[in-house]
Amino acid sequence: MNGPLIVQSDKTLLLEVDHEQADACRRAIAPFAELERAPEHIHTYRVTPLGLWNARAAGHDAEQVVDALVAYSRYPVPHALLVDVAETMARYGRLTLSKHPTHGLVLTTTDRPVLEEILRSRKVQPLVGARLDPDTVAVHPSERGQIKQTLLKLGWPAEDLAGYVDGEAHHIELDETGWALRPYQKQAVEGFWHGGSGVVVLPCGAGKTLVGAGAMAQAKATTLILVTNTVSARQWKHELVKRTSLTEDEIGEYSGTRKEIRPVTIATYQVLTTKRKGIYAHLELFDSRDWGLVVYDEVHLLPAPVFKFTADLQARRRLGLTATLVREDGRESDVFSLIGPKRFDAPWKEIEAQGYIAPADCVEVRVNLTDAERLAYATAETEEKYRYCATTETKRKVTEALVQRFAGQQILVIGQYIDQLDELGEHLNAPVIKGETSNAQREKLFEAFRQGEISVLVVSKVANFSIDLPEATVAIQVSGTFGSRQEEAQRLGRVLRPKADGHQAHFYSVVARDTIDQDFAAHRQRFLAEQGYAYRIVDADEFLSPK
Amino acid sequence: MPEGRSPSSPRTLAEALRARGDEDLAALLRARPDLLTPVPTDLTQLATRAGTRASVVRALERLDRFTLQTAEALAVAPDAASYETLLALLTGDEGDPDIEAVLPRAVAVLRGQALVWGGDDRLRLVRTARELLAPSPTRPSPTGLGPTVAEATAGMSPGRLQEILTAAGLPTTHDPVSAVAALASLFNDRSRMAALLDTAPSEALTVLDRLVWGPPYGEVTANPTPPVQWLRDRGLLLPASPRTVVLPREAALHLRGGRAHRTPEPVPPAVRPAAKASMTEGRPQLVDNAAAGQAYTALSTVEDLLKDWHEGGPAVLRSGGLSVRDLKRTAAALDTTEQMAGFWLELTYAAGLLAADGEADERYAPTPAYDDWLTLPASERWARLAAAWLTATRTAGLIGGQDTKGRTLSALGPDLDRSAAVEVRRRVLHLLAALPAGTAPDPESLLARLRWERPLRGTGTPDLDRNVARSAARGVPTDLRSRVAAWTLTEAEVLGVTGRGALSTHGRALLGRAAYGDGATGDGRLAAGPIAAPSATEATAGLTAPSATEPASGPAAPGLGAAAAGLTAAPWPGAARPAAGQPGGPEAQAASAHALAPLLPEPVDHVLLQADLTAVAPGPLQRPLAETLAVLADIESKGGATVYRFTPASVRRALDAGKSASDLHTFLATHSRTPVPQPLSYLIDDVARRHGHLRIGAASAYVRCDDDALLGEILADKRSQGLRLRRLAPTVLAAQADPATLLEGLRTMGYAPAAESAEGDVLITRAHARRTPPRTAPVPVPDGPPVPDGTLLGAAVKAIRAGDLAATVVRKPVPEPAKNGELPRTTSAETLATVQAAAMTGAAVWIGYVNADGAASQRVIAPVRVEGGFVTAYDHTADEVRTYPLHRITGVAELADDPA
Repeated sequence: MNGPLIVQSDKTLLLEVDHEQADACRRAIAPFAELERAPEHIHTYRVTPLGLWNARAAGHDAEQVVDALVAYSRYPVPHALLVDVAETMARYGRLTLSKHPTHGLVLTTTDRPVLEEILRSRKVQPLVGARLDPDTVAVHPSERGQIKQTLLKLGWPAEDLAGYVDGEAHHIELDETGWALRPYQKQAVEGFWHGGSGVVVLPCGAGKTLVGAGAMAQAKATTLILVTNTVSARQWKHELVKRTSLTEDEIGEYSGTRKEIRPVTIATYQVLTTKRKGIYAHLELFDSRDWGLVVYDEVHLLPAPVFKFTADLQARRRLGLTATLVREDGRESDVFSLIGPKRFDAPWKEIEAQGYIAPADCVEVRVNLTDAERLAYATAETEEKYRYCATTETKRKVTEALVQRFAGQQILVIGQYIDQLDELGEHLNAPVIKGETSNAQREKLFEAFRQGEISVLVVSKVANFSIDLPEATVAIQVSGTFGSRQEEAQRLGRVLRPKADGHQAHFYSVVARDTIDQDFAAHRQRFLAEQGYAYRIVDADEFLSPK
Repeated sequence: MPEGRSPSSPRTLAEALRARGDEDLAALLRARPDLLTPVPTDLTQLATRAGTRASVVRALERLDRFTLQTAEALAVAPDAASYETLLALLTGDEGDPDIEAVLPRAVAVLRGQALVWGGDDRLRLVRTARELLAPSPTRPSPTGLGPTVAEATAGMSPGRLQEILTAAGLPTTHDPVSAVAALASLFNDRSRMAALLDTAPSEALTVLDRLVWGPPYGEVTANPTPPVQWLRDRGLLLPASPRTVVLPREAALHLRGGRAHRTPEPVPPAVRPAAKASMTEGRPQLVDNAAAGQAYTALSTVEDLLKDWHEGGPAVLRSGGLSVRDLKRTAAALDTTEQMAGFWLELTYAAGLLAADGEADERYAPTPAYDDWLTLPASERWARLAAAWLTATRTAGLIGGQDTKGRTLSALGPDLDRSAAVEVRRRVLHLLAALPAGTAPDPESLLARLRWERPLRGTGTPDLDRNVARSAARGVPTDLRSRVAAWTLTEAEVLGVTGRGALSTHGRALLGRAAYGDGATGDGRLAAGPIAAPSATEATAGLTAPSATEPASGPAAPGLGAAAAGLTAAPWPGAARPAAGQPGGPEAQAASAHALAPLLPEPVDHVLLQADLTAVAPGPLQRPLAETLAVLADIESKGGATVYRFTPASVRRALDAGKSASDLHTFLATHSRTPVPQPLSYLIDDVARRHGHLRIGAASAYVRCDDDALLGEILADKRSQGLRLRRLAPTVLAAQADPATLLEGLRTMGYAPAAESAEGDVLITRAHARRTPPRTAPVPVPDGPPVPDGTLLGAAVKAIRAGDLAATVVRKPVPEPAKNGELPRTTSAETLATVQAAAMTGAAVWIGYVNADGAASQRVIAPVRVEGGFVTAYDHTADEVRTYPLHRITGVAELADDPA
């Protein structure tokens, strides 16, 4: 009766972190519960149908889940919850997708009424073919993704045992000289490979690229990597050449500028979703080779059309990489059904504790607007309000003071509004990277920053993702895309790469007090706060006061 | 059994009863309390009443399956059968030690209930019972036996009988009675019968096989097949109607090996542990924990429900109860199904925590008892609920179903009482108590056991329970008792009486002492309840005939023995109910609460504050703390712990409730185990900083002046006190007086204020001028008629002349008032004049009058008043004051002066 876990009737699990059994308990509940919040004392896990089905997919049964809950629970577990767990888990696996020697892809059931029920659904009807016997129905091979998506929505997730095509073999080895996959990266690769397809959730800076490389080395097949933008594509290429047996020539880039198709091809989401004359012009990329593995970088940003293409790729292994499964558009279930269930997840703080990501000091700097600014803000049009308060003069001054304070360190100033950034660049005497900056110029600037030739870089949201700037130690966020939680996480991620000298990273978010900027900031911080990053709040006057 | 051994057998039931001891009679009355109202005057009356159909049906209904089978067997045996005959009917030719062991008890029960009387050599079923249980064409017996040879051949021609005898190879006789006897004895004789059947064609045996276990009737065509013909020839099939044949009872019994029932069930089916019980078996602690968790959930559910209705719940339907929509809403609020919401509602209602307020516009609301209940410790709160549930006849499971008239049964509504519910509920729990601690039963076996104890169906009296018949007709799979039993299992689980299907320690305590098995005396009897008698079979070993007055003394073994001991004791609870120790009684409640208390989470006095602006209370919070926190933060998740989230809105709520920022800081610092995170302090300060920034108040007028000093002067002036001025800003005063008074007041003080309009303009004051809406001028009313003009005058003069001429010409005299029944006729002007004159003088006149139906009459009236075309008069003819329309009066004549 004194366990570390409190099971709530709304299916959240509260885990007391400081309890002596906390670790054992975490291991016991991790297979079926999603870590939702990880602040300092009590972590919140949520038991969701997706999570329970995940656990079923990984071979756990309801008895184990119930036992884990009962064994570690401090208080008696609500009976209804246990019943619900058992019932939910029982829903998984009643339907299986498998390969039939003569009929191709078939959907079989162990529970005939379920099959009857789903066949009656108008959404399922166009996806299935002939009824082969009372328990089996043929499925159009092209609808494998569709039907999984639909069945999940109907609450009867199908177990996909139809397997994967091996794809065109291609020799890929990890080249572990002078470095090695970290333990959690190995676990992630194993978890993914065992599950076949799925998503690995790791914090920014925790080496997701290497998990991708590890998966490729496992698959030893031609690989298609989908990334967010060209810079990120270059970095993937760079990293793969460095860490694996792949050579420069084996890796192709498929982007707006280059259209190379090689055994390992890195494509950007943008080029894939470009429409020409109303059709997606670059779809043939998916069929251009017999890919054995498809890697999705930053799954939480996956554009909707890519989901559609992915639905047709169900026979190939799929690996999703992300720092957060939080999607601002709420399409988590599509990620689950089309890319696959979450295969690995490590809380940020845990990885930080292991020293793989730099500890970060998150500070919210509250700026008092001047009276004139307040008046202007108060009378601004509603749609202009955020822009106004996010780009005030006072903010600029605070930013300058901050840059001065950390003079000598590598500083990134990140913002949303180009004119604000230009102005900052001017005042700070620092180069600005924005959407219109050419890729070559970006590369050059990033490289100079990496080498320490320039110490301050002003970047727009183009640098939100996948820009590897290991030496950046200070990030100053002056404005953002409203209340985007994942953007905040990504931006923090810019400074989380472990530092050569192991010192702390700083993340400053400059926020105008008593404006919607503050409300958005609170929303943005929520994800990180839940990941255990406690924001300090500091008054801007502290920096502005002459010392 | 004294009567069994008495040398002179009683001839009637009354005699048999007379021979009984007082204790036996008391036992009978206890078992069949319906015989007691009103108290019979003598034993003959008692016996008569015991033989009435209603009473017998009631008694039969309450028999367990084996005792009922015994009665059924007696019903198919010849009247006044011997004990041996009965035994043979039950065991068959092979014999059965089990049945031999329990049959004496079954007979004793039947005898004790006055369903059977007579000695062991002449056991006689009460006639009504025999009629109810014996097979007849309309009501097949559960034994599946047909009529006897004698019954089936009644009315058969002697010639046909002769043919049968001949075919069966018996000597012929002309006497039908002896013919039938001969045939019956052939069928009864095992060896001769076997020899006869040996000669039968094999198809004939197949036919018999089909009929042997019933129903014994078969349809035949006009030209039966040879095997059927063969059987008919030998009387093995006897005609029941032109198209049907029946297998006579004696023949069937032969084919059955002498058994009346295909499967006699002498032993009650055991309640098996559930297959999945392995996890909890032998770990009662686990069961108790699960149950306690559920108990805790139950408490918070009830509290949630009533908190929801704190300020008045939904309206009471005119027909009573809660509307379906409100039930749905409640279910949504409690995050449960409607069925469960109905259960919670009925539970709180049964516990007296919720009731209709009885106002004109009746609504549901928590009762004052709820407030008292809230102050109790959690364990006692639960015990109250559980006790209320245990003893309630209201059956929540019925909600949403329909009553006999097709009306939907609503939650908290009428017609939810089922007296059987209490009994079944207790019985189920006692069966659970009989299992080893920590064992969950297999629900099927539990239901089977309940059905054995009270076989309601297939008793041969299907009309015993109309509910059953109806639900069967509707296709509802089970009868009310089984449904109640199933509900009991679910409800007990939800309420936390059981945990994972097994009875918890506190649940056991709730059942009273009987369930513990220590001293199952009078209380135990009650615990066992009405089902007690049949179940006595359980205790065949070592326990004799049920004698209610004789307590099943001695401590029974705990666990399994407990229930059995309770069961053996009493067939039917008497009128007197001992208060203490009975299930759900105060004593049991206290014991139960005591057992539960250590299992419930202790209230905690602290929370954990986290940087993501949440607070986690790692257990139930002490009430005042919980209340404050609920104001200060939004509840995000409930359960064993509570998760609160601080938001600007929630902090503002706390500030609105009169807390200051420093109060909140202190509160959090005091109750947090962890340091107050900085973002939270900032949040509170931020909200507090803005809180009350804008102030709102009411004033009826204001004084505005650019000169602060002047306003200061006004405020300082004593004369301004009546205006209740308050300085809002250096240049503004607010007043509670209205603008006019304010103006007047300031003027009298010697100032020269100007009034302002709502737009801020100075109002120019003028003399108050009030106007009506547009009106037309009045028309002058001159003192006489208007001066006529020439035309009018000319016309008038002409008319006057003409009139004058008419008046002055010689004319016929006015017709005399008609005599002799003829109505007087006058012109309307004359009529009017005459009655007016009469009204003035008070004289009586004679009128002719036609009423609304056109009937004419003559009346003598004394007009009182003439107005508006009516004359009100005293009618001498009718001797009352009446009103006549003038236009109905045909004519009027003055009465001749009375000579007198």
